[in-house]
Amino acid sequence: MGQELPLQEGFLTTRVDAVVNWARSNSLMPMPMGLACCAIEMMAFAAPKYDVARFGSEAMRFSPRQADLMIVAGWVSYKMAHTIRRVWDQMADPKWCISMGACASSGGMHRCYGVVQGCDNFLPVDVYIPGCPPRPEAVIHALMDIQEKIRNQYSIEQDGIYGRDMPVVAANRPTIVTPDGEHAISPAGLYTQR
Amino acid sequence: MPEKLTNGIKAPKTLPFEFVPQEAETAVLNNPHAKATTLVDDVLDAMEASFGTAVLERVVYAGERTVRISTDSLLEICTWLKETQGFTYLADLAGIDRFTEEDRYEVFYNLVNMTKGKRLRVVIRIDEESMTAPTLCDIFPAANWNEREAWDMFGLRFEGHPDLRRMFMPEDFEYHPLRKEFPLLGVPGSMALPPQVPTGELTQDPFPAAHGSKTPWSFEEVESEDDV
Ligand code: SF4
Repeated sequence: MGQELPLQEGFLTTRVDAVVNWARSNSLMPMPMGLACCAIEMMAFAAPKYDVARFGSEAMRFSPRQADLMIVAGWVSYKMAHTIRRVWDQMADPKWCISMGACASSGGMHRCYGVVQGCDNFLPVDVYIPGCPPRPEAVIHALMDIQEKIRNQYSIEQDGIYGRDMPVVAANRPTIVTPDGEHAISPAGLYTQR
Repeated sequence: MPEKLTNGIKAPKTLPFEFVPQEAETAVLNNPHAKATTLVDDVLDAMEASFGTAVLERVVYAGERTVRISTDSLLEICTWLKETQGFTYLADLAGIDRFTEEDRYEVFYNLVNMTKGKRLRVVIRIDEESMTAPTLCDIFPAANWNEREAWDMFGLRFEGHPDLRRMFMPEDFEYHPLRKEFPLLGVPGSMALPPQVPTGELTQDPFPAAHGSKTPWSFEEVESEDDV
């Protein structure tokens, strides 16, 4: 009986995207762009108590060539913005960006001449975290959102078509079967489902 | 008095600090935060005795002594403070925009006597017309960067400064941002944001996201000649 289970045969079949995205999402290497007080919470997020190693992201990489997730933690001054953009450009594709805290997302309380009013003015941000500073749990939640995004949105096909029109890839979402037929689960539903 | 609450936990005690500006002596006696380090009346008396009219005003606030002196005698008085009174440490120096009709700008110098443990604040006022003050770099080398900051933020020129460049703002920035008339969010176009794509032009609009532009994802960036 048990011999009918696929794992006991020593192999399983799946989609390449599913495997690659699974590997990518569970080994994100953050580039800690720590600019102000938020960086302290980002360290707590990587430290043993919150232990982001559970999500495979404990290895902070201070070289942009080895990182694929930029965490912009803190307020961005106009002078620093150019450096951040350069570091971002040096990161290899595929790459993702978290804007951590009120300051990185909108300028926050630094409503003044020297601070860029939100790092989305020059970076493509995937996830914004509210808070001043956000708790490390919130950063972990943002990381889980990025993992969710990688598993569902990104296809390995995109790597080969840099700069050209991207074919629409069907979302690789889990489905549920209801009496009316098959339904994709929305990402919002994934969190509330019991 | 801490009240007893019903559940047996004492209400938190309020901190016993209430400060109301008072006359000098009572302020020092009553204000628990006034320190003996700021009692430098003997130095100020000696300063008045040797420089006379150059000492314009003596202010005591919260037990701290501030003396306003004439800009012309700044070097003389600071040399005297350093060499005869032992104020060898310049702890801080910065500009203030008072936004008054006359003598609009103020520069303060916080001096410390390390052996006796005394502090003194010396201030000078600078008129909008002249915008110049003598540099203290020759007496206190620590003044160098702080004077550069005051130049950067207020446009105060320090005569004789060895290297009066901007301290914080970009070198090609044209304004002095801590002046009261400078707009809070800066002058649009005075500082550029980085390009939206690696090979693009600098972004001159300071709020592109608010104006509806969205930075492309890296896989959406258009191929440029450099990529081939
Ligand atoms: S959001 Fe708050 S904690 Fe984070 S950088 Fe800004 S001021 Fe600091």
